[in-house]
Amino acid sequence: MTTPSVHVLRASVGVVERLRTAPREAGRVHSVFERALNIDWHDGRLLTLQSPGPLLAPFAATLARLPRSCAIVPGLPMWRRGDVLTLDGVVLDPRGTAAIDPTMPEARTSPGSVFAVLPTAPSVAKGLASEIGCRARSRLADGVSRRDPGAFIQGALGLIGLGEGLTPAGDDCLVGALAALRRFTPSWLDAHPEIRTTVEQTAAVATTTVAHEFVAHALAGRFAESVVDLLTADSADEIRCAATRLLGSGATSGADTLCGVELALAALRNRTS
Amino acid sequence: MTALTLVIKSCYRDSVALLMLARTLRATAGVSEVAALMATDANKALMAQSDLLTSDAAAAGPNDLVVVIRATSAGEAERAVGQAADLLSAARRPAEAGGRPLPRTLESARRHLRGANLALISVPGAFAAAETLKALRGGLHVMLFSDNVPIDDEVALKRLAARKGLLLMGPDCGTAYLGGVPLGFANAVPRGRVGIVAASGTGLQQVAILLAARGEGISHALGVGGRDMSAAVGGLMTLPALRALAADRATELIVVVGKPPDRAVRESVIGTLRELGTPAVLAMLGRGVEPGQDGAITTVTTLEDAATAAIAMLRGKRWSPEATIAMTTEARIEETRKTLTARQRAIRGLYAGGTLAHEAALILESLLGDVSSNLKPGVERRHHIVDLGADEFTVGRAHPMLDPGARIDAIARAAKDPEVAVLLLDVVLGYGVAADPAGDIVPALEAARAEAAAHGRGLAVVTTVVGTRDDPQGLAGQIARLEAAGAWVLPSNAEAVRVAARLATG
Repeated sequence: MTTPSVHVLRASVGVVERLRTAPREAGRVHSVFERALNIDWHDGRLLTLQSPGPLLAPFAATLARLPRSCAIVPGLPMWRRGDVLTLDGVVLDPRGTAAIDPTMPEARTSPGSVFAVLPTAPSVAKGLASEIGCRARSRLADGVSRRDPGAFIQGALGLIGLGEGLTPAGDDCLVGALAALRRFTPSWLDAHPEIRTTVEQTAAVATTTVAHEFVAHALAGRFAESVVDLLTADSADEIRCAATRLLGSGATSGADTLCGVELALAALRNRTS
Repeated sequence: MTALTLVIKSCYRDSVALLMLARTLRATAGVSEVAALMATDANKALMAQSDLLTSDAAAAGPNDLVVVIRATSAGEAERAVGQAADLLSAARRPAEAGGRPLPRTLESARRHLRGANLALISVPGAFAAAETLKALRGGLHVMLFSDNVPIDDEVALKRLAARKGLLLMGPDCGTAYLGGVPLGFANAVPRGRVGIVAASGTGLQQVAILLAARGEGISHALGVGGRDMSAAVGGLMTLPALRALAADRATELIVVVGKPPDRAVRESVIGTLRELGTPAVLAMLGRGVEPGQDGAITTVTTLEDAATAAIAMLRGKRWSPEATIAMTTEARIEETRKTLTARQRAIRGLYAGGTLAHEAALILESLLGDVSSNLKPGVERRHHIVDLGADEFTVGRAHPMLDPGARIDAIARAAKDPEVAVLLLDVVLGYGVAADPAGDIVPALEAARAEAAAHGRGLAVVTTVVGTRDDPQGLAGQIARLEAAGAWVLPSNAEAVRVAARLATG
């Protein structure tokens, strides 16, 4: 009797390489959700295995079928056996995985065209609407519109770890803002490396492990597929469809990310005008 | 006041789960405030602002879940902490039924229930197409409850279903009845001789309960998804659904419910109905639709008319649309108008049912002229209808048929507006919805009327209850609760809208 293998269908470029080069003890289950498993990879970072669909994170891989069992609990090891990986007896085969580039490409257009048709984010999460959240968002927007990295960092640090959820709403909002900046003004981010250094160092200790992972990738310019799709959409209809898909991701993460995208686009528009 | 803390190390729950947990605990006796957050520094600052940062919460780390409960006594706080621990551990345990673990995949569900021929799929939209494809390839009919399925996927899946002779109900199909079995949000209605094809969940429910109230039942009711009759989808499931009902021996008449279809699709629907020969009622709710009869096909403009026309046709009677208001109702309208100020001329429709909101906007538009709603972009007008089940209200929270939060907020806002004369509402009962939908909004309605009274105004609350006496919530009890709160409960949405229009304008 042979164990049926589950193919790894798609993964971000970095994840393809991490799957390929994993040592014998590749990682351990970090957390288990309905449609995704987070794995504490041997390199000290997270790696997400998810059901088929758009990549939910820039550190994710989609499987043809997500392994389900009561034995898959935090701490369970994942092993390498030759070219494949095993988790609770299920063989995960990464050979032939399609590599997806989660890097946000630089735009050749101004942010105004996206901002004009972007649907308004639904009601702001409680954490973001709090006095602390409003102050942090305002500082972040100031930083963008006045080209002031200090203000941007202050705003970002105020958002890290703030609010509801496994990836707190503030972190999602920050990731959305970084996505818009990476798309429309990457040179400003690159000219101020202190933004990446300070924000990443803070996120490493001040928010959840999963949120830190999202923020770290966003600072490096890598995002979930739905976020890249939204900001690279060509037409108003595509933007609306991509926004709808983004809103459907996570429990409230999509809405909080959209809130950050809107915030940064509005601030960029103020800057350009 | 006492504050107690539950800290669970390395515990991960999504934001909706934590919001629901906090909401449940807040409803517990003696509990005044709850925080359920990851213990990041920023969240500790939030808790400190609310005076909820206990020493245990302060000592927790960013990957720890903290639940802080403030209650009037130590005993009540301890009970609530115990409840929180139970709720969180229940969420961790694999689901079970009858001592056996419930299947977590389509494949294992088929192994558990050999001979099953229908899959009900309710997963996030991004994953729905893949699950539906699996089900169709496996020879299963599908009721696809999920929304946010791309239209290209819908077309491809429906083509596959059509080729395999299967029904794909949805996406965004909220209600269906198959062989007397209600699926999704559905009322307890008797089996009978009316078949329904619907591109709308609450539209289907309204017709079904009005038929039930007049002694008629449903053979089968097939949801096809809100876009099926669009040009892009081309009625790929509507036409097979009509044929399936026409071939069913129990079905004597078919009601088709939806928004006005694409012209070519409408012609195909009418052509198919003529070819099948089964009498039919078309309730395509939209501007410019004219009621009338063409052979065995009757066109109506409201859901109420769909039910009355179907009954007349089944019983061999003539039918003509009626939109009259009874004398007793007229008298109550006059009495109620006396409580309103001259400035109060506006209607706020706050709906849980999307099609009921759409129908309300259409009827009001025909009676009062310009009406705005969140269903169509534009400036907000004096009369404004809100579908609280629309995407902008349901991201991160349950549908308003389950979670009354968005409607409670909207009622409170409307009560503060000195121009609002009428709150127009629907209350939907049945399987799958809240246990006490009327009870959930009654405190908000009482508070709204008190707010208006404090400012020397009346506030009319006009509502319809979409329910039957056999629904689990009990129709009579739900109506009684609303009436006790001063609401005026009318038997159909159309009638409620007509009364609201008269109240607002005289």
